[in-house]
Amino acid sequence: MTLAASLRAIVGDTHVLERAAELLVYESDGLPGYHRTPSLAVFPANADEALAVVRTLASAGVPYVPRGAGTGLSGGALADGAVLLGLHRLKKIIAIDPERRVARVEPGVVNVSLTKAATKFGLHYAPDPSSQTACTLGGNLAENAGGPHCLKYGVTLNHVVAAKVALPDGTVVELNADDSGYDLLGAFVGSEGCFGTALELTVKLTPNPERVVTLLADFTSIDDAAQTVSAIIAAGILPAALEMMDRATVGAVEASIYAAGYPTDAAAVLLVEVDGAAAGLDEDVQGVDRICRAHGARDVRIATEPAARAKLWQGRKKAFGAMGRLAPHLVVQDAVVPRTKLPSLLAQISAIGAANGVQVCNVFHAGDGNLHPNIPYNANDRDEADRVHHAMVAIMQACIDAGGTITGEHGVGLDKLRYMDALFTADTLDGMCRLRDVFDPDRRANPGKVVPIRYCRERRPNTQMAEGGRRMADATGGQL
Amino acid sequence: MTLRPASVAELASVITDAAAARRGLRLIARGTWLDGGAPVSADAEPLYLDAFDGIIEYEPGDLTITVGAAMSVAELDAATAQHGQWCPLAPWGGDDGSVGATIATATAGPLAHALGLPRDLVLGVECVDGTGKTLRPGGKVVKNVAGFDLVRLMTGSWGSLAAITRVSLRLRARPAVDETWLVVTDAAADLCQRLRRSVTPPIACEVVTRGTLGANSPDGLLVRLAGNAAYVAAARDAVHGAGDAQRADASAWTPVRTAARPQATRAMLDPAVRALNDGVKHAFDPSGILNPGIMG
Amino acid sequence: MSAVTPLEHARAGLDSCVHCGFCLQACPTYLALEDENDSPRGRLVLMRAVLDGRVAIDDADVATHLSRCLGCRGCESACPSGVPYGHLLEAAREQLAAVRPLPLVARVILWVFARKPVLRVALWFGRMARDTGIAAELARLPGALGFPFAMLASTAREPARPWTPRAAPTRATVATLDGCVMEGLFTDVNRATERVLAENGYALCAAPGQQCCGALHVHAGDAASARTLARANIAAFEASGAEFVASNSAGCGAMMKEYGQLLADEPQWRDRARAFSAKVRDASELLAAAGPRAGATVPRRITYDAPCHLEHAQKAGGPALQVLAAIPGLEHTVLDDRDQCCGSAGIFNLIEPNVSELVLSAKMRCIAATQAPMVATGNPGCLMQIGAGLVRDGRGAVARHPIELLDESYARQER
Repeated sequence: MTLAASLRAIVGDTHVLERAAELLVYESDGLPGYHRTPSLAVFPANADEALAVVRTLASAGVPYVPRGAGTGLSGGALADGAVLLGLHRLKKIIAIDPERRVARVEPGVVNVSLTKAATKFGLHYAPDPSSQTACTLGGNLAENAGGPHCLKYGVTLNHVVAAKVALPDGTVVELNADDSGYDLLGAFVGSEGCFGTALELTVKLTPNPERVVTLLADFTSIDDAAQTVSAIIAAGILPAALEMMDRATVGAVEASIYAAGYPTDAAAVLLVEVDGAAAGLDEDVQGVDRICRAHGARDVRIATEPAARAKLWQGRKKAFGAMGRLAPHLVVQDAVVPRTKLPSLLAQISAIGAANGVQVCNVFHAGDGNLHPNIPYNANDRDEADRVHHAMVAIMQACIDAGGTITGEHGVGLDKLRYMDALFTADTLDGMCRLRDVFDPDRRANPGKVVPIRYCRERRPNTQMAEGGRRMADATGGQL
Repeated sequence: MTLRPASVAELASVITDAAAARRGLRLIARGTWLDGGAPVSADAEPLYLDAFDGIIEYEPGDLTITVGAAMSVAELDAATAQHGQWCPLAPWGGDDGSVGATIATATAGPLAHALGLPRDLVLGVECVDGTGKTLRPGGKVVKNVAGFDLVRLMTGSWGSLAAITRVSLRLRARPAVDETWLVVTDAAADLCQRLRRSVTPPIACEVVTRGTLGANSPDGLLVRLAGNAAYVAAARDAVHGAGDAQRADASAWTPVRTAARPQATRAMLDPAVRALNDGVKHAFDPSGILNPGIMG
Repeated sequence: MSAVTPLEHARAGLDSCVHCGFCLQACPTYLALEDENDSPRGRLVLMRAVLDGRVAIDDADVATHLSRCLGCRGCESACPSGVPYGHLLEAAREQLAAVRPLPLVARVILWVFARKPVLRVALWFGRMARDTGIAAELARLPGALGFPFAMLASTAREPARPWTPRAAPTRATVATLDGCVMEGLFTDVNRATERVLAENGYALCAAPGQQCCGALHVHAGDAASARTLARANIAAFEASGAEFVASNSAGCGAMMKEYGQLLADEPQWRDRARAFSAKVRDASELLAAAGPRAGATVPRRITYDAPCHLEHAQKAGGPALQVLAAIPGLEHTVLDDRDQCCGSAGIFNLIEPNVSELVLSAKMRCIAATQAPMVATGNPGCLMQIGAGLVRDGRGAVARHPIELLDESYARQER
C-alpha cells in the first residue's frame, strides 16, 4: 500500500491531497514569498486520526510538518517534500471550566472562537495575535504567539497549563505546567512543531476587565512617540497594550475598509489601552494622557465605548493586510530591542530604508520593544527585491547590535534561520539541537526549521522522504 | 583544592575535567538552600559559584537587568529599588539565597500568583552544561521566541543540567502604594480565594496561623495591596469589608516566606514523561556529574 | 480567446492578496469542506497559477474548486487588503466557461432566464406546482431530488391584507426592478415593496422593457449574456426618468450596482452604466433613509439572516436592520453567524447540491438555536434556500422578506 493509501484509510479519501494543483495553496503560509511543495497533505478529523497519522508517518520514517491555519509569518509551516499534517479540522472546544478558569481545546480551534465561547462566563483567552480571527491555538502554542495585549497579560507560554502531545515517534505524553521534573511544557511551547504535535491543550482563561479605555495619541515626530513609550512604562503604568504605527502604516490602514479615523498627517500614532478594575483606572488614563502631551502629542483621543474602541483597534489589527494595497508583495519582519533603544532603532530603520530606496512601514508592539518593520514591494522586480533583502538584513543586524533578538513572536521558521548564527553561539545552537533530539531523535518533525541545518546535521528531507517511502513499501510489500 | 572558578572559561574547564573523570559536583552559590532537593550524592565535590556576582547590565529604562547568578535576591532588590523598580521574585526561603538558585529551583513565592512564576520572569541565562559547553539561550529583551527554549529548560532544573552563571530578568516599576494588612479570620483560605477573584485582587495573600507573625499573633490572612492610590483605596475597602483588618508591616512577610523551603521531586511522573526527563538529563549532563541525585 | 484573458485583466486584484488567511473563517465552503482549495485564499492561488501558466484552466481541480465557490463574498468583508474577490471569481469563471461548458442544468436555467417569454412560462408552471400542492408533496423526495420542490413550496403565502398608501409623494421618484423570481414567485412581496415605498413618500414610476439583471449569468461565467441584459435594463430605467432604481432582491441590486464595472470596456455604454449604477438602491436603503415610518404593532418573534449580496457585495447591511427595528412589537433574536452564506448563492444550490446542503445545515443549526418561528431575509435565493430548509425540517417556521413585515405593520394600522 502506498503512504497516501495508508493515510486515506485513516482520514478518508477527500482529506488526503496529492495532485499538484491542490497542493499549491499549501506551498505557503502567511508569509508570502516562500513556496515549498509538500509531497502530500493529510487532514485528520480528530485526535485519534491525528495520532494514527503520526504513527503511520513514524513507521514509514517520513518527515512531516504540522500546520494550523497557515497564518504564520516565518515560513514555519512549509513542507519541502515532507508530508503536510493539517490540524485545522481538530476544532472542538472540549470543555470550559469557568470555576478553574481553564479551557480544554483541540489544536485547530481558532483563537477568537475560544474567546467567543468564554464570553458568557465573563472570561477571555488573553493572547491575541493580530491574526486571531484566523490562527489556531495549536499554531499559537507551536510559535509561542504574542499579540498586543501580551504587554500586560503575557504570551502563549504564560497561558498554557497542559498539552497532550504526540511525539514524532507516535508516543503520547501529557505535559503539565505543575509536573515535577524539568519544565518540558515550557520547552515544548514555541518549539515550532519540531518536538511533536499537540493533540489537545489546556489554557488559562482570563477574567474580562471591569473597565477598558483606549487612547489614541498622534505625534508629529516619530522620535517623540518612541520616547513616550519608555516614559509610560517607566512611570509605573502597565497598559494592557501599547502599540505604535508610523505614517506609512496609517496611510495604508486609512485607505482600507478598516479605516479607523487615524490622522493621516501624523508621523506616528500610539494606541494605548489601559484596563482592569474601575478603581484607579482614571488615574492611569490621565497619566497616559499627560505623558503623551508632555512628549509632544498633538492630540489624544480617548475612547471608552466598545464600538469606538473596536474601531480604533480595527485598523491596528488589520494593518498588515492593509499593506497589501501598497504593492503586490510584502515582507513582514519581527524583532525586539530594549525599549530605550526604540528611538535610535527607528531612526536607523528609516535610514536603512532610504539608503536602499524602499519604504518601511512600522507597526508594532512598542511597549515590548517588539518591532514589525514591513516592506511592501514587487517581487517580480529583481532589483527591488534585492534592495528589500539588503534592507531587511541590515535592519535585523541593527536589532541584534542593539542587544535585541530576531523574533519576538513570529518564530524562526524558515525565514529567520539566516540570523540565528549572529544571535547565538555555535554551542548554544548545538544545545538547542540536543534538546530537540530528546523529543525527536529522527529529526522528522518540521525538518530544516529553527536551527540552521549544519548544527543539527539533518539529512535532506527529500532524501529522507524517498528512504521512508521505500521502507514503507518494504514493510507492506506494496509500492510507493 | 577548593573548586572556585573565577570565570566562565574556568568553570567550563572544571566541569569538563569532572565529566572526564565522572566526578560528581555539588553546585553552591550562597549555600542557603542545600537541603532543598533530594540528597546529593555524598561524594560530590563542592563547586563554588560565588565569583559570578554583581550587576552586569542594568538600563532602568528597559525594565530589565542582567546579574551574576550568585547575587543574592536581597542585593537585587536593593539595586533595583534605587530606580523605583523591582523584580517580584520574593522566593520562599527568604532573600539570602542567590538569584541563580531561585531560577535553578524555580522557587516561587507569595507574589507568583499575581506577578508571575520565575519561568515568567527570566528572559535569558548563561550557563555551563555537564559537557562543559557554555550556553547563552534567551536574551535580555522582554519578548523572545528565537530558538528552542533552553531558558525554560534550565529554570527549575535544580542545577542538574548546567551551572547557571548569569541571569537576565524582567523588572517592574514599584507600585506607588504598597501596603500589608492582616485580616483576622478563621476562614482565611476562603477569603484568599475570594479576594483573588475580586475586581481588586491583592498582589499576595497567604494564610497565617497563630504565632506565625510573633507571639500571640492570631490566625488570619496576610494581604498585600499594591497599585495607584485609588486602586489600593478600593482594595483596602474590600479587605476591611471581609473582617477585622489590622495594618501590618512589610516585614510581616519574612517569617511567612522563611517558613517555607523549596523542594525538588520527580515522583509520580508518567513513564513516557519520565523517559523524556531522563533523555534531557542525558543530553546535557551525560556523565551525571551535576548535582547528582538532586531530583530523586 | 482574446489576447488579454479576463484573469490577466484582473491581475492587479490578484496581486493585492498577501496570503494572510483572514478570509478562511469567513468562507462557508472552507468551514464546511475544511480544505483551503475551497477557500478564497486557495481559489486565488489557483487563479494565479492559471494566470502564471502553472496550471491549465481546464485542470479538473481548478474547475472543481472554482465551481464550489458560493460567490457570497463574505471574504471581501474580512479582507484587509481589499482583494476584489467577486470580480476575480467572475473573471476566472468566464475564462473557465470558455473551455469547460457549464453543467446542463445550469445552461438550461441561464438560457431560460435570458428569455423573458420562456421564463414567464417556466414560472407559471412553478406557481401551478406550488398552488396545487404538488410542490409540497414532491418536497418530501429525499436529498437533492426534493430540494427544488421544497424551495418552490416555501414561496407559498397567505394573500397580504389589502391597504392603500396615503402618504403624499414628498421624496424622490423611484422605479423598481421587478426581478425574475421576485415577480414570478414572490409577486406579493413586489406589491408590498411598492406600497411601503409609497407610504414612505416615494413616487413610483414604471420602467417597461426591463429584463433579468444578469447576476446569475455573471456568476456562472456567462458575462456576454449579462452585458446584453444590462444594456437593456439601463435603457429601460433611463426611459423611466426615475431618480432611483430600487430592488428588493439583494442579488439583483448588487449586480445592478456593478453594471459600471461590467460595461467598463464598452465606450458607448461605460458612462451610462456608471450613472445607472449610482442610482441603484436596495429597497431597504430607501426605506431606512425615510425612517421608515412606524406602523402598528407586529407581535412576532423573528431572527434575521443577512443576504450576502446585501452585506458583503453591496456593503449595505445596516438599513435592513433599521427597517426591522422600526416595526413596533417585533422581537428580534440575533442569529449567530448571520453574515455567513446560507448556501443558496443564485443557482449554486442546484448545481452543487452537496456543498450547498452542508452550508445550509450550518445555517439551520444557528436558526434552530434562536427558536424563532420566522426568519427574515431580503433576497429571493435566501428566502427559498432557508425556506426549503424550514419546509423540510418540519418545525413550522417560515422565511419572510423584511418588507413583508413592514407591510404587515402598515396593514394592521389600516384595520
